[in-house]
Amino acid sequence: MLELIGSILVLLGAIFHFSAGLGMLRMPDAYTRMQAGTKASTLGNTLILAGLGFYHPEWSLKLLIIICFVLMTNPVSSHALARAAHIIQIPMTRKTTVDALRDSQQRHRGGK
Amino acid sequence: MRRTFVVLVVALFGLVFASLVIAHNERQSLRPLAESYVELVPEELGAPNVITGILLTYRAFDTLGEVAVLFMVAAGVGLVLGASDQQSRRSPRKVSGSSSRPSSEIVQSGAQILVPLISIFAAYIIMNGHRSAGGGFQGGAVIASGVLLLVLASTRYRVNLEFLSITESAAGVLFVLTGIAGLIFAGGFLDNRMLPLGQFGAFFSAGAIPILSVLLGVKVGCELSVIIDRFRA
Repeated sequence: MLELIGSILVLLGAIFHFSAGLGMLRMPDAYTRMQAGTKASTLGNTLILAGLGFYHPEWSLKLLIIICFVLMTNPVSSHALARAAHIIQIPMTRKTTVDALRDSQQRHRGGK
Repeated sequence: MRRTFVVLVVALFGLVFASLVIAHNERQSLRPLAESYVELVPEELGAPNVITGILLTYRAFDTLGEVAVLFMVAAGVGLVLGASDQQSRRSPRKVSGSSSRPSSEIVQSGAQILVPLISIFAAYIIMNGHRSAGGGFQGGAVIASGVLLLVLASTRYRVNLEFLSITESAAGVLFVLTGIAGLIFAGGFLDNRMLPLGQFGAFFSAGAIPILSVLLGVKVGCELSVIIDRFRA
């Protein structure tokens, strides 16, 4: 029973990883690709590690630490990458109409 | 013409790799040398991790040479990149100040949370080198990654080069002194049996291997941190 739950979780994680890969191929610009890759792979990693925890209950503490580490590092690194891409003005796709970072910077300058 | 050439090259590469894959048959048993190592390391050195046992005892002299090579790399990078650093120091500071903008708040808070965790993980890797996967080199690289995160997160953070060079030299001297102690109290240079082997698989076991591991980790961490600091814009 535990193995079945673990297998289902690992399979779900693999599906999310697949969607991350698909997003990298299909998304139109750097930012959307980044968000597809980061979000889906964070959830996929978490699910796969949780599934491994069902397979090997004696590993669960270490796996929990790894999950926390991935949950902390993955969003921060992709945030830094996206910000760097915004700073060197990598163009967005035309369908994106909202740019909150640019707006807030303009407001900041206007406030000064 | 060009396309046929490319196709030809790809086909040739495919032939080479295909022959490699077809000719490969996996060994079912260890070679005699590997077998003797696998038997000797837990027996003679008391270390469950065979690779660390080999690296820090049988081939410890080689490891010392590798650390020396890393030191040469740090010195070479300092020689090449340090000169330009001095030039930028002579020129007005404002130019370099405007080009580097501060990282965002998220990155800074993330670094504050992650650097202690990374340091603990590095200590864990170094201290468990004789029991499980890990050791001085790997742990030192993890230390340096923490320093890299600090450098990335805060433009004001300055690596204390003097402290690093003193620590690194001290670790190197202690490493060689431990080796000489092995020459006096045990069978040879960097022999780990100068200290009691202890219980197999325990935290304090395998003679001098944990001490050598710590010294190696400190030395490698300092060297890589110096290299990272040299690449700062």
